[in-house]
Amino acid sequence: MDVQSRGMQGEARSREILLSCKGIVKSYNGPIVLDHVDFSVYRGEVHSLVGENGAGKSTLIKIITGATNRNEGDIIFDGKPIPLEFSRRDAQAAGIACIYQELSLIPGMTVAQNIFLGKEPLMRGVRIIDKKAMNRMAQDLIDRYQFPLKATTIIDDLSIAHRQLAEILKALSDKASLMIMDEPTSSLTRTEVEMLFKIIHMLRDQNISVLYVSHRMEEVYHLSDRVTVLRDGKLVDVLERDRISPAEIIRLMIGHKLEEKAVHHRLVPKNGPVVLEVRNITSLGKFEDISFDLHEGEILGIGGLVGAGRTELVRALYGIDPIDAGTVRYLGKPYVPSVQKAIASGIGFIPEERRRQGILPTQTIRTNIAITNLDVIAPRHVTSRKREQELAMDGIKVCNVKPADPLHLVGNLSGGNQQKVVLAKWLVRNLRLLFIDEPTVGIDIGAKEEIYEHIQRLAASGVSIILVSSDLPELTRLSDRVLVLRKGRIIKEFKDCVLTGEKILRAASGITEEVEDEA
Amino acid sequence: MKHKALSTEIKLLAVLAGLMVALSLLSPRFLTIDNLTNVVWSVCLIGILSSGAIYPRITGGIDLSLGSMAALTGIIVDRFMNHMGLHWIPAILLTILIGALIGLFNGFIVAKIKVPAFVVTMAAKTYLYGIALVVSQGAMMAILKPRPFLEIGTGRLLGLPNPIYLMAVLVAVSQFVLRKTAFGRKVMAVGANETAAQLSGVDPDRIRIVSYTISGATSAIGGVVLASLTQQVFAAAASGIELDVMTALVIGGTSPVGGRGSVAGALLGAIMVAFIINGLNLMNIPAPYHPIVTGTVILMALLLNEGQFKGKFGRAAA
Repeated sequence: MDVQSRGMQGEARSREILLSCKGIVKSYNGPIVLDHVDFSVYRGEVHSLVGENGAGKSTLIKIITGATNRNEGDIIFDGKPIPLEFSRRDAQAAGIACIYQELSLIPGMTVAQNIFLGKEPLMRGVRIIDKKAMNRMAQDLIDRYQFPLKATTIIDDLSIAHRQLAEILKALSDKASLMIMDEPTSSLTRTEVEMLFKIIHMLRDQNISVLYVSHRMEEVYHLSDRVTVLRDGKLVDVLERDRISPAEIIRLMIGHKLEEKAVHHRLVPKNGPVVLEVRNITSLGKFEDISFDLHEGEILGIGGLVGAGRTELVRALYGIDPIDAGTVRYLGKPYVPSVQKAIASGIGFIPEERRRQGILPTQTIRTNIAITNLDVIAPRHVTSRKREQELAMDGIKVCNVKPADPLHLVGNLSGGNQQKVVLAKWLVRNLRLLFIDEPTVGIDIGAKEEIYEHIQRLAASGVSIILVSSDLPELTRLSDRVLVLRKGRIIKEFKDCVLTGEKILRAASGITEEVEDEA
Repeated sequence: MKHKALSTEIKLLAVLAGLMVALSLLSPRFLTIDNLTNVVWSVCLIGILSSGAIYPRITGGIDLSLGSMAALTGIIVDRFMNHMGLHWIPAILLTILIGALIGLFNGFIVAKIKVPAFVVTMAAKTYLYGIALVVSQGAMMAILKPRPFLEIGTGRLLGLPNPIYLMAVLVAVSQFVLRKTAFGRKVMAVGANETAAQLSGVDPDRIRIVSYTISGATSAIGGVVLASLTQQVFAAAASGIELDVMTALVIGGTSPVGGRGSVAGALLGAIMVAFIINGLNLMNIPAPYHPIVTGTVILMALLLNEGQFKGKFGRAAA
């Protein structure tokens, strides 16, 4: 996409305000997530909302779509004030549509059935659904916007990108005047992204506003008429089109917190023996030609945007997903990853989604810790209650799990304590290598600090760690070295230098020009 | 909400004790060795089948082919002994092997083709019934020999019917495997959270396949015992027993979504239902009323257990 295509005819548009938020305050029992934020969207513009994780983007979106309610502040949409008590239904009725990350279409139904769900055209007299009319109306809608879809296709037969289009159509049929897209491109291919962009332009030409949320700077840069930057729950700036550049957005997102240790970190190389040697590994469609060495006691950070292939890389190295090409050596020997082999040879894995992938919620802390340690607890198939109890108490003590009761059900623990249990089931083992994917998502500050201390202590004791994180302060603070992935490849390695979150984000966004080093 | 792990069995024991006291007050015939033996004897088959059927259930699946399987394996063991002239011991072992293989096939489809277990085993229930009809040529066949084979079901040891010992052993072994072995842990883990189990080194497909294999094997054992006990085999011999087994499992605290369960609980559940029916009989309440009472009991047990599950998940969702 060339520079000309961005923000076409933007100036010609009227500056009629469609959505206006003034002084929005939101707190979830205590911490303030949004602090007097002003925000507005013009009719017929593409407006991007950007900020680091935890800046307050999702909360603002949730308030606008009625998924949660604000504590204070005024919202006017389409000339009408929006009351404090405002539900998703109300938002939909007002003309606010959200294209969800996890799509909300019903599988097994056709495109037309999904578009007209709950508002199907009925036959006159006998009140049954007029299928013909419904398909025709859907096809008319599709043709009007020239979407590459058919009204009678079953949702299951569509790719993610085409399902997204069906969602957009559904919103259009609801006469939405504001369409919110939250990371819509995270699972799309390049050509699919281009198709989506064309459709976003088309929507703008129809005078529909698009509120675009993305971590991908080049997308924000190409699409946006204006950009609102949030940081730590506060409005930082609103950029008009002539001021929008990826570097400027990143500068505003990160802010001037350079004096803080957390975001300004001197990387010191660790030159111990190589534990893991990765050479040119590729997993088709996920990552390509990845090579690196991991040293003993080293924390290797993996940065990059959502969808850059970070999680896929650690999953493949742990042995969950196959590697299509390339070689891996572990402790000096050729190694073909498999989960069972990994666990037996001192490798551990802390997955990104704790609830879905990490814990057995209906079982006790003791049983959760036992499951990765069956080789110790039941070397000859029969479990030893005594050893199991010892391991559980050990894990609870080391990780400071609260309550310190091995028979407590893990599903009833707080997020932070659940994560400590996931950590504990590995820490009671003799580890050589630990993969950690987004260890502190949704965890309170206190538990976060404790988990950081564990990771650092583990590395100090000689365990090598590969840490995937979208939390930039976390990545800069913990890592000894950082690899940044972009579109499945290593685009940048940071070692033996001063690292800031801004540098990581610039690399992840594909900004190549060098930043002057403040060191 | 803590220390709940074993309480279902204890609650059931308390209910059973209460039931026994009430029934012994209501009927002088209740608390006799003969009557009690009869009750336990009547739940033997359910106990034997539950000891294996619990594995698929805990992984989050279900084996509905138990009844057809038991009937079919009863017919098969009769064929082996009385038509093909096999000695009764290899005949029984072969029959159990066949049951295990059918279970393996069920498990393979459930695990590898990712079809809901409900559908897979419902289909198996139907075609196994068909195979049983074909093999038995639709007839009911009496088994009059060999003597040692008939002893399995009808004989007594120390005054108690043999199947009670068999059931006790199977239930004890099954409970031991579930509670005390690495395999049991893996079965529970797969049911509680398949992905987490997999990332912790458990192979969910393998665990599933083995679970259905065990269920197939115990169904065949049940089929052999039933054939020996009733001295006859026919395709509909155990029709509907899978529902009694599922009832016992539910009352015994096996989670309807998987992840936890207890064979001992299932046995207590089966005994409770049998006691209730026995009590109704002793009080001369006509048979048509029995299902109303047992159905209500199942519902109450479910609601009680469901409350427990809610407590487990409710706060966790936050």
